[in-house]
Amino acid sequence: MAGMKFGRRALAALTGLTLASGIAAAQAGEVTFWTWRQEDRAVYTDLFAEFTKANPGITVKFEAFPNENYNTIVTTALAGGKGGDVLHARAYGGLEAMAKAGYYLPLDKTNVPELANLPDDANASESLRADGKVYAVSLAGQTLGLIVNQDVLAAAGVTMASDWDGFLGMCKALKAKGITPIANGTATPWMDAIFATVFTNPFVGPAWTADMLAGKTTFSDPKFIGALAKLLDLKDCMPNGFTGVDYPTSQQLFSAGKAAIFVGGSFEIAPFRRGNPKLNLDFVAPPAPAIGQPSHVSRFFDSGFAVNAKSANPADALKLVRWMATKAFAEPAAAKLGNISSLKDVAAADPLLAKVAKLNETAMPYSTLVYFRFEAPTGTDLLQDGVQKMFGGSATPAEVGAAITAGLSKWYKPFQK
Amino acid sequence: MRGEPIKHGLIQALLILNAFVMLYPLFVMVMSAFKSNAEIFASPFALPESFAFTNASRMWSETSFILYLLNSLIVTAAAIAAIVVFGTMAAYAIARYPFRLSSAAFMFFLAGLMVPLKLAIIPLFIQLDSLGLIDTRLGLILVYTAMGLPSSVFILTGFLRTLPGELEESARIEGASELRIMLQVMLPLARPAMVIAAIQNAVPIWNDFFFPLVFISSDRLKTLPQGLTVFMGEYNTDWGVLFAGLTLAALPITLVYIALSRQFIAGLTQGAGK
Amino acid sequence: MVQALPEVTNCLATPSRRWRLGAWIALLLAPGLAIMTVFVAAPLLSSFRYAFYEFHGVLPSAFIGFANFHDILFDSTYAVSTWRALAHNAIVFASLMIVQNGLAYLIAFALLKALPGHRLHQVIIFLPVMLSAVIVGFLWKLFFHPLFGLVNAALALVGIQGLPWLGTESTALGAIIFTNAWHWVGFPALIFLAGMQRISRETIEAARIDGASDTVLMTRIIWPLVAPSATIVVILTFIGSFNWFELPYIMAGATGSPGGATDVLGLFFYRTAFGSASSGLQDFGHGSALAVLMFLFIAIVSALALRVLRAREIET
Repeated sequence: MAGMKFGRRALAALTGLTLASGIAAAQAGEVTFWTWRQEDRAVYTDLFAEFTKANPGITVKFEAFPNENYNTIVTTALAGGKGGDVLHARAYGGLEAMAKAGYYLPLDKTNVPELANLPDDANASESLRADGKVYAVSLAGQTLGLIVNQDVLAAAGVTMASDWDGFLGMCKALKAKGITPIANGTATPWMDAIFATVFTNPFVGPAWTADMLAGKTTFSDPKFIGALAKLLDLKDCMPNGFTGVDYPTSQQLFSAGKAAIFVGGSFEIAPFRRGNPKLNLDFVAPPAPAIGQPSHVSRFFDSGFAVNAKSANPADALKLVRWMATKAFAEPAAAKLGNISSLKDVAAADPLLAKVAKLNETAMPYSTLVYFRFEAPTGTDLLQDGVQKMFGGSATPAEVGAAITAGLSKWYKPFQK
Repeated sequence: MRGEPIKHGLIQALLILNAFVMLYPLFVMVMSAFKSNAEIFASPFALPESFAFTNASRMWSETSFILYLLNSLIVTAAAIAAIVVFGTMAAYAIARYPFRLSSAAFMFFLAGLMVPLKLAIIPLFIQLDSLGLIDTRLGLILVYTAMGLPSSVFILTGFLRTLPGELEESARIEGASELRIMLQVMLPLARPAMVIAAIQNAVPIWNDFFFPLVFISSDRLKTLPQGLTVFMGEYNTDWGVLFAGLTLAALPITLVYIALSRQFIAGLTQGAGK
Repeated sequence: MVQALPEVTNCLATPSRRWRLGAWIALLLAPGLAIMTVFVAAPLLSSFRYAFYEFHGVLPSAFIGFANFHDILFDSTYAVSTWRALAHNAIVFASLMIVQNGLAYLIAFALLKALPGHRLHQVIIFLPVMLSAVIVGFLWKLFFHPLFGLVNAALALVGIQGLPWLGTESTALGAIIFTNAWHWVGFPALIFLAGMQRISRETIEAARIDGASDTVLMTRIIWPLVAPSATIVVILTFIGSFNWFELPYIMAGATGSPGGATDVLGLFFYRTAFGSASSGLQDFGHGSALAVLMFLFIAIVSALALRVLRAREIET
């Protein structure tokens, strides 16, 4: 160790750069905001200008990083005692990893009274299960279901079916007209977990999910395996060679009007509209198992805003986060970003998003994310791997269900029996 | 020898076919630089609808393209210079002198190739921070130099070992210093290997955006690939603009290679003459 | 390692000269060793320590000895991926040796003939090497695409029904290996060419006068003489194959789609250590343990291979 220290000093002397600037030596009145949302630069820049108007003397600097590298960049900077003052934080397991390390300032009624503006489940998504403390102000809720191109359906003279058999019939009708019914392929893993969740949730239903979370049943249960098997019926609805169709291709097929339905989340609505403003979109729940039975969209909270525990400017950082928990931020942010705010009293202005908010009333959780992404192997990892194998023909639904249960039982106590 | 022209013709034909396979994807790349995302996916191999510089101008207006390009040039050039100079020095010592720790030194360098440095990103960050090198070009240059040394030492050692010892010996008998033997007798013979080591390391350094993302935060110090990451969104990556940016970015380094490949051919005649 | 340079010892007659030579060698090695120590060895050794700690989240929680190593090699959560990935890496190495380096050797031999246009060709084969893997991966995804890919369109012309190459478990790895060969073939070709150019013209002319055909020339005369180039190519391909990461990451994602059919050690290491934005969690404990094991494996095999390959160089 002594040798290394000498080496460091020698090198520093050699280069003569010991005084070179470190990362953004905190300037009074400047708060740095770090995010992975490259595409929202303009929106945040405008909103932060509003914040500066309301809080003269505090400016906010927006720094975005590529999503795939964001976790690593933040972890590294925080481990070195640097990083943005306010950090865009993941939810659930992603939040826990950072909060457990003490990198985020705990938020409570005293330092952020505005937490009361958020519902309990939103705050829970940004809490550590161990201490129950909140570490970030939740931004938005996301809903998973079917995004529909109404013009494509109308042109084909087809109406959206709301039950499983009707849905498969509708797929056939669309195919006969040369339209790909579902835009999704299975080449991009994270989409597979969403795809599977959307279609299996109505088949398993809320009661089964509650039992499963209580450990009374597992993913090896015939009910879940039966729901997984249903996914294979959709093979004929998907693009040719769908196992090689990735997420960007699916997006393009849908927004170019070559496919009628995109299985995804409410977070896709804004990018679709931005890419092609003429799209006439609808958002509906996936097909119910049979006519007369209920269907459910799936839901989770997306991300939040945390304060760097080692921020050189915690007072101003807290001011910003408090402001982000009020209508002054949440209303315009939801409108401009095109999502559904986590705040209680912010209603969606956009009619389509208002419809999504209505669907949320009967939503089921995106379970593998909300409950099973706290340890390795994560539920989403297991589910997406299984779905790819199932569609590729190298695993049966029963094998996939068993693999998910076996994987989760490594760390999920209720499954360890 | 009568079959020679036919055979040469056949070889030539195969080389042309190979050239086509090598070049056609590059052609698609250049065409894509003029397309929107929708066009890339709708008709990836067709000619673009127009040759307007929409993507290039977005890159121009949304990033400090010239500044980033300049930073990339400085960082890459400095790192490559350090890699070639220090790498050649070390390789020369290992290849031309029998000393006790020669193998150990060689394996120490080679070991650097065997572990992804990304693993050490946190200790490396803290190390650079303690040296005051976070958010400096020098920090990046030193990290890249360290990343490039293993392969350059390995390649250069391999080539330097094969140089005939007689040249060295006769110069030594004539009383030339070790430095002169190295610079004037031996290294000129190793120029192709130095070109290979330089260019093989230049490409990954030139294209890397990971280390700048972690180490560089000031806009005025950002490298070009780092700057282009603003077009990589969570759900939407702007491929057209990325193609435009990366195609332009590939130009300087390609020109450098074309220039260096002459060196390479010069090495050929010299080597073959001996 | 064998050092076959006895002639230098002649000038080590006096102690003072010996000392000066020692200083000279140290001077040559010092800058490289210093930079490697500070920016590679020290940080890596420091992160190797993580391999012995348990991680829940991004900070170590408890010292657990070799438990992470045991998990990587034997626990079903990890071991299945470890061994499957190792097998894939071996396939990658063998395929690249044949497809990429074999082709490179042929190209180098063809270029050595100095036919018209060989300088241009020398530039052309190296152009793909200039490109970032991001671009190469994306381009070849388009070529292999099931809906609009040119590969399937070309096959359709000769009446063959194409596949979703990257989405089919039996073909995905091959498609990525092919892309890698396209991207990198110019590099071994250049190394072989540089080695071939060092062979004296007389040797080749003499063989030709003896009536050696191109095949004999390539396999019997030139091949042994480019042994040093072959050593470089084999070792770099070996290390590169077992650290293979960028291209599979771009073309198949961190989990090696579809269903792990393209999973290699580099991907497994990356997603274990760094997780992913959309699914996994960061775990430096298991990630470091895996990296240490990969390092040991690559280092031992490389050292043995170098011994064998260099012995072959000296024989010839």
